[in-house]
Amino acid sequence: MKEQKKDKSQFLTNFLRGLMVYGVSIFLAFVIISFFIALLGYNVPRALQTLITTSFRSTFGFQETIKKTIPLIFTTYAFTIPFMIRFFNIGGWGQMLFGGTMTAVVGLLLVNVALPSYMMIPLLLIVGILSGGFFALIAGFLKAKHNINPIISTIMLNFVAYLFVNFIATAPLFKDPLEGHPITKPLPDSAMLGFFKGIPYSIFLAIIAIIFVFIILKKTKLGYEITSVGYNPSAAQTYGINFQKTIMLTFLIGGALAGLGGSLEVINIHGKLIEGFAKTSGAQYGIFGILTGLVVAGNPLAVPISAFLISVLLVGADSLQRTMQIPVEMVFFSQAIIVLSIVTIREKLSRGGK
Amino acid sequence: MDITTFISQTIVYTTVYALVSLGIVIGGRTGIFNISGEGIMLAAASSGFIISYLTENWFFGYLAGALVGCIIGFILVFIHENFKVNQFIIGISLVLLGSAFSDLLYKMVIGARLFVPMAPPTPEVNIPLLSKIPIISGFLNQDVIVFFMYVMTLLAWWFYYKTKIGLETRAIGENPKATDVVGVKVIRRRYLATITGSALIGVAGAYLTLGITGAYSPDISAGRGFMAVGIAIFASWKPQRAIIGAFLFAAIEVISFKLQIISHNIPFQFFLMLPFISVLIVMVLLKKQVEFPASLGKPYSRE
Repeated sequence: MKEQKKDKSQFLTNFLRGLMVYGVSIFLAFVIISFFIALLGYNVPRALQTLITTSFRSTFGFQETIKKTIPLIFTTYAFTIPFMIRFFNIGGWGQMLFGGTMTAVVGLLLVNVALPSYMMIPLLLIVGILSGGFFALIAGFLKAKHNINPIISTIMLNFVAYLFVNFIATAPLFKDPLEGHPITKPLPDSAMLGFFKGIPYSIFLAIIAIIFVFIILKKTKLGYEITSVGYNPSAAQTYGINFQKTIMLTFLIGGALAGLGGSLEVINIHGKLIEGFAKTSGAQYGIFGILTGLVVAGNPLAVPISAFLISVLLVGADSLQRTMQIPVEMVFFSQAIIVLSIVTIREKLSRGGK
Repeated sequence: MDITTFISQTIVYTTVYALVSLGIVIGGRTGIFNISGEGIMLAAASSGFIISYLTENWFFGYLAGALVGCIIGFILVFIHENFKVNQFIIGISLVLLGSAFSDLLYKMVIGARLFVPMAPPTPEVNIPLLSKIPIISGFLNQDVIVFFMYVMTLLAWWFYYKTKIGLETRAIGENPKATDVVGVKVIRRRYLATITGSALIGVAGAYLTLGITGAYSPDISAGRGFMAVGIAIFASWKPQRAIIGAFLFAAIEVISFKLQIISHNIPFQFFLMLPFISVLIVMVLLKKQVEFPASLGKPYSRE
């Protein structure tokens, strides 16, 4: 009984703390956004209204928000899962690019084989998962075996992946001769995942991914190991948890999810490989994945909500640029401020509470 | 391409890598691991360009770049020392902040124009006689920022290995508590070092637009801020090794750029991958020799 009461008050403090962290940060961010809008000489209330409500005013706005949320969930997991053991995977973007590119390569090579959809689509998704996972595993391996900082290795691999996309999209074998830009020929129809009322079917895979991450973390030995390594690495090692293996597995899982996200962008959104496909509002999904991941403090279960809210701001930012000529970077800038203030206030409160 | 031209081009990029990695080394020596170099460079590239374009003065551009570096460096130490937030988290957030800021500022002040605006050129240094000798002239027929980089590297080496304050500063990185006991103001040194280092990174960022391209374009630093972190690490936080590493990567960058034009059989993208892959290879090869300042990445408190 007493325990229960303590739990309840604990929950309440945590809740209030969270409310304060996010409330203050978001308030601060909106003050900054308003300042810039006023500086540019625009109507502040109207701009703020556009920023927040575009996603909910029209069906199109909502569809756009969902289309951004899905890949964002995947790149956020790519960051969040290694972050649970305090490693930084900045390579979600590269892993998404690599997964998507390999999907396009396999899809285009199988143009004449005419596999039915129920075989083609799972095959391509597996290709995306494996190649994204492999690409992240390079960084995990370099950390585990050679102690190379994953921040550096994943960023270097991002550039490699970016150049690889360019290579495939301009290779004579794959390139669409009618296109001026680096874009491949379309994938066969049997490879396409469709839409339901403007919502891509990839949403189901995003939901499966969320459930998968939940099960891995809460119900498996690996999840237990990840949590304990994250909580106290040296103690976990003393109790016989293989630290190197855990590092590699977290990168593998994170990268596999990013690769799946890239695969889905290719077969569900574009239908071909386009240079710079893993971008939204002119910036990489990887960057927003890191932002979203830092906002949720590496708590994978909060990822979908956070990804949705960031997408709402992105759709609003696009609309601001279209209708009021306010640069989208203004919203990126304030998102970075939100993140910086969230991590700071959160750390302050958690230390103050001890 | 003759060797003198090759050296001359390599030195231009060496300047970028060397200033950034030197900036990271200086902060790291007091225990602050500054990975926000990419963000500082981008913010400094755009604000430096804008200031120098508006004032039609090259010097004010670099000054603005350095100032932007100072501000971002200050934010890093301030949040880290007061709120004990992990340095990497602040660093990554600052990269996001800097890259958003750079494009935002450029769009707000310059916007889209029919003709790309160009900044006034950075003046060249002319040394009589020496600049006529082949090979050596590649090092010396350069602009003032290159010489600034030479001087800064020498100065940093002299500071750390020949002065008492330098020795103390190195000691902060190894054991802040012990140096505090001796009466060194650890936190103040951390501020000073990180802000100075970030100012150098800011100059390097401004050099991208003012010294190399003459114009601003988004993502102009192209990952060099992070490659410089790699250089600082395998230079074991020693200025004299950082400049060698910087030269090595600048040479790889210039070579890969030349190769992609010459080669017909191998797709050019693979040559452009070379600099990034070689960072990883060099780090694997040199991992045994790498030493880190012991207090790197940790907040300092007197308790």
